[in-house]
Amino acid sequence: MTDTNSSVSLWLTLGVVGIPLASFIACFFINQKFGWLAPIIGSVLVLFSFLCAVSLLFVLSPESQDAFYTSWPWFSINDKIIHASLLIDGTASSMLFVVSLVSLLVHLFSIGYMAEDQNQIRYFAMLGFFTFAMLGLVISSNLLVTFCFWELVGFSSYRLIGHWQEKPAAAKAATKAFIINKVGDLGYLIGLMILWTQIGTFEISNSTLTGISPSWLTAAGLCIFIGVVAKSAQFPLFNWLPDAMEGPTPVSALIHAATMVAAGVFLLIRFAPIFTNDALTIIAITGVLTAVVGALGALFQYDIKKILAYSTVSQLGFMVMAIGAGAAQGGYLHLLHHAFFKAGLFLSAGAIIHAMHQAYHHNELDVQDIRNLGGLRKKLPVTFISFAIFAAALSGLPFTSGFVSKELILTQMTTWAGSEFSFRWIIVGSAWVVTALTPIYALRLVWFIFFAKPKREHPIKEVPVIMRFPLIVLAIGSFAMITSLNPFHFSSAISALVRSSLNTSIIILLLSTVVILLALTVAYYFYRNQKLTHEQKYLTPHYFLDTASDWLSQLTIQISLFTKTIDRGIDKVIHTITYLQVTLAHMIGWTDRNLVDGLVNGMAHSSKGIGSITRSLANGKIQSYLLWAMAGLTIFIFWILY
Amino acid sequence: MHLLSLLIFTPILVGLLALFIPSRFVNTFRIISLGVSIAQIIILIQILFQYQYTAGFQLAEKLPWISLDLGSIGLLQAEYFVALDGLSLSMVALSVGIFLIAIISSWTIEKNRKGYFILLLILNGAIIGSFCALDFLLFYVFFEFMLLPMYFLIGIWGGAKREYASIKFFLYTLLGSILILIVIVALYLSFQTPESGERIVHTFNVLSMYNMENLIPNSLLSLDSTNVLGPYSFRLWAFLLLLIGFMIKLPAVPLHTWLPDAHVEAPTPISVILAALLLKFGGYGLLRFAYPIFPDAAIHFSWLVGLIGLVSIIYGALNALSAKDLKRMIAYSSVSHMGFVLLGIASGTVAGITGAVYQMFSHGIISAMLFVIAGVLYDRTHDRLINNYSGLSSKMKNYTAFVLIAFFASMGLPGFAGFMGEVMIFLGAFQSQTINGLVPHWMAITATLGLLLSAAYYLWTIQRMFYGPFSLKNSTVELTDLNSREYTMLLPLALAAIIFGVLPQLLLNFINPFAGDFVNVLFQNLLTH
Repeated sequence: MTDTNSSVSLWLTLGVVGIPLASFIACFFINQKFGWLAPIIGSVLVLFSFLCAVSLLFVLSPESQDAFYTSWPWFSINDKIIHASLLIDGTASSMLFVVSLVSLLVHLFSIGYMAEDQNQIRYFAMLGFFTFAMLGLVISSNLLVTFCFWELVGFSSYRLIGHWQEKPAAAKAATKAFIINKVGDLGYLIGLMILWTQIGTFEISNSTLTGISPSWLTAAGLCIFIGVVAKSAQFPLFNWLPDAMEGPTPVSALIHAATMVAAGVFLLIRFAPIFTNDALTIIAITGVLTAVVGALGALFQYDIKKILAYSTVSQLGFMVMAIGAGAAQGGYLHLLHHAFFKAGLFLSAGAIIHAMHQAYHHNELDVQDIRNLGGLRKKLPVTFISFAIFAAALSGLPFTSGFVSKELILTQMTTWAGSEFSFRWIIVGSAWVVTALTPIYALRLVWFIFFAKPKREHPIKEVPVIMRFPLIVLAIGSFAMITSLNPFHFSSAISALVRSSLNTSIIILLLSTVVILLALTVAYYFYRNQKLTHEQKYLTPHYFLDTASDWLSQLTIQISLFTKTIDRGIDKVIHTITYLQVTLAHMIGWTDRNLVDGLVNGMAHSSKGIGSITRSLANGKIQSYLLWAMAGLTIFIFWILY
Repeated sequence: MHLLSLLIFTPILVGLLALFIPSRFVNTFRIISLGVSIAQIIILIQILFQYQYTAGFQLAEKLPWISLDLGSIGLLQAEYFVALDGLSLSMVALSVGIFLIAIISSWTIEKNRKGYFILLLILNGAIIGSFCALDFLLFYVFFEFMLLPMYFLIGIWGGAKREYASIKFFLYTLLGSILILIVIVALYLSFQTPESGERIVHTFNVLSMYNMENLIPNSLLSLDSTNVLGPYSFRLWAFLLLLIGFMIKLPAVPLHTWLPDAHVEAPTPISVILAALLLKFGGYGLLRFAYPIFPDAAIHFSWLVGLIGLVSIIYGALNALSAKDLKRMIAYSSVSHMGFVLLGIASGTVAGITGAVYQMFSHGIISAMLFVIAGVLYDRTHDRLINNYSGLSSKMKNYTAFVLIAFFASMGLPGFAGFMGEVMIFLGAFQSQTINGLVPHWMAITATLGLLLSAAYYLWTIQRMFYGPFSLKNSTVELTDLNSREYTMLLPLALAAIIFGVLPQLLLNFINPFAGDFVNVLFQNLLTH
């Protein structure tokens, strides 16, 4: 890489990551009166960030897969220096592109969606901060620095989920999300501790990892994976994600679909050398379990956003499973594609919700419940077409981007499964099950929102242009041409990933198409005349996890109350000692007053007594003087004689 | 230039001189204190210019102080010996900064300003003196001098149960000091100056005590002494007494119960000084005295010290979770964070020691911020109960922003100073079993629960007090957002927390030489003896 290229890359990288931070800081200086400035400043700055990301794709030579690496010493512990290092390779540059683009589109969408919100400054500030933290996470190639951005992303998520602070449900959801993510962070921290002890550095590459024993490496990898489990909503730490839907829908689109939850998957790719084969097996099992549970959950929910949340859980599980099952490239490609169509799904859902709220001002209708929607395809045509495209990509229909990545995953997994029967075949089989389930719930969603006969006609109209524009962009991005058939110049980093992989198998291609179409047909006939019924608590996976986490919270609170009692007990011991001391002091005081002083007083009394006796000799009676004189004389005579 | 003595005695002398100012000149006292504080900052900047990033002590001032001929018993000698190294400079810098914050926080004290500010000035001098003293008797004098002003400051200007809290604080910490005094005397009798030849000259000089060559053979605390009391030799007992004495100050569970009461009843500026400065003496004492003078005993008891640290972390956090009073919650979170310091010290690794000192510094900044936050609310409503508030975010937007900064900094969010200290402690504590076998892995792993619990109690407090619909029980006060005096306190603290979180090397330049040297000396003494 040439020097000019290096410095240009550096400035572009700093631009991509730093400009959104400027957006955050700028919002502090916007007076409440000029609140309308915040969305504009935010969007413009993120646009610049996106343009830097695009330029970076051009600068990094697409053909030779150049990577830009630089590092600065951050701090030192004695003589060990920990660096803040960044690496922009194909993986990072494509992720930067996707994150900044989705963030830009979400900013634009939010201008319309949050137009009547009282706290837009706070909202756009946090949106900018989140973008900064996510982009920082992407460029970092030091596991400790990544951890810092990891937690900052969690903080932004907390503030954005709880944006509508006056709603207790939103406040609770935000706290829950942060706490569950913190559990994952503990695991990540333990992984860092292991790496520090074993190799003394947080830069991960094949060279720095020589010398660590396989068992320690597996342990470190699994501990870091715990962080991924929480952040990317894997089983059993995903129950924060359905609750996170309390936040504004654009937030759900950006954070809880496209980017933050993808951070875990990104980490698995970025720091791949840490994960040994044993660790990868556990990762694959966790992933596939999540994928199945998520898909089943999506099938039985009635709230649009919760269905999409479960779909996200399922797709993330699919990606994690792919990485664990030898399909890392497919998994990463799916990550990028999923960002587009899932963000699109959420934004379209947001458009529907927004349109319904405009019509039903007084909240007499739960606009997010799909049982209340229906026949919207005529009222919201743009939304409908985009939604249909996104749902198709989610299902993995041919000509969509989802098809390409799914097919790649399934092909690579087939190779991984091998020719002999083992547990790997079960994992691959489950992957096919998920491939079949996904179109079913996708169709269910599309059908009940857009086709089913509604209970009543909704007087709604299509959303404003600023909200339609992101949908259209994302819809275009959900087509397969973007990434594989037509290697556009700017996305050749992505196509390079695809090119370097195995030959796609025609069998898998055909088989997956057949499976998906079959599933769609089954779903169509099933739901065509279906009336949706009541919610089934026990078919909701997060119900069980919530019960467990609620029980744990209650237990912790009981223990904490017990420690309060212990503290009172300790104080009672101290008070007892004090009272004993005071009693002792009183006793000594009594002794002092009565015995010691008593002795002194006693001596005074006795000398008084003796004095009065001797005084009584001088009593003025001459008879007694004569008596005592005679007595004295007698004694004197006796004494002389003896 | 005798910069250190200037730093120590300016507040004391100004305080004593201020006694002659009639109390009716009400505003002069706080202005004088502010002036002293600014003078101290200027002196500190001078010190920072002169300081080199090396191990060892600098800016030393040594003067003969006490020289008492006790006839046949011998010669009682103590020196006025003050100096700075990385550890004490961090603490002194913290003290100067926090003192300024405390003065600004004390600006609105109404009752008996003369007494208050003079006591505050003397307290300041005593604190800085304690951090600089390298003669054990001198240290003890300054150490005791800290307790008396605190007793009055809490007992007169405090809250409802102030007499109970102040006397509990005073007697409890005095007990610790007595234990330390016993060890000081024993050390005096066991150590001789390097220059003493035929006639043994005892010494209080701490630097001489670092070198075991200076031990008088067959004395109380010599290495070859066979004095045993119960299961431990005198040396081990001496270390234990020092440990208990400093543990009371830290405070470590179960010797911590004086802290919640003292904090809750003390006025805001005194809480700030108590949390930010006084608690640091626990860690400072262990690092300056107990560990270097008794390295053998320190290594022997390190498992115990680690366990006490771990228990403090978890127990303190659980208690904070159950607290109904905001200040009580913050007090227990201090117990928990000081537990981290103890864990770091116990680990005996460079990362652990560095982290412990860093945590002491960052906790100073962050807990000062937390108590100012609590004070802001208390000043308006005189109510500290968490459940009486809801939805404060809608009324006090800027206040909420600072509360978020303080709470998230305290729970160790990266980007703030607390994270750096905690991460280094964790790395060092985990590393310990592999490098020196002092602290097992499981202690470091279990300690991470402390992070989870601190997130829990802080977020729950935010959820109860700041989110949700607005309501205020038991009060009809109109809540105003922060005024400019409160901004001048909170903004520098927030900036400091961020700067030391993003650019930790600024502080690490001072701590690293100290920590490296400390660990070398700790284990080297073990090898040669």
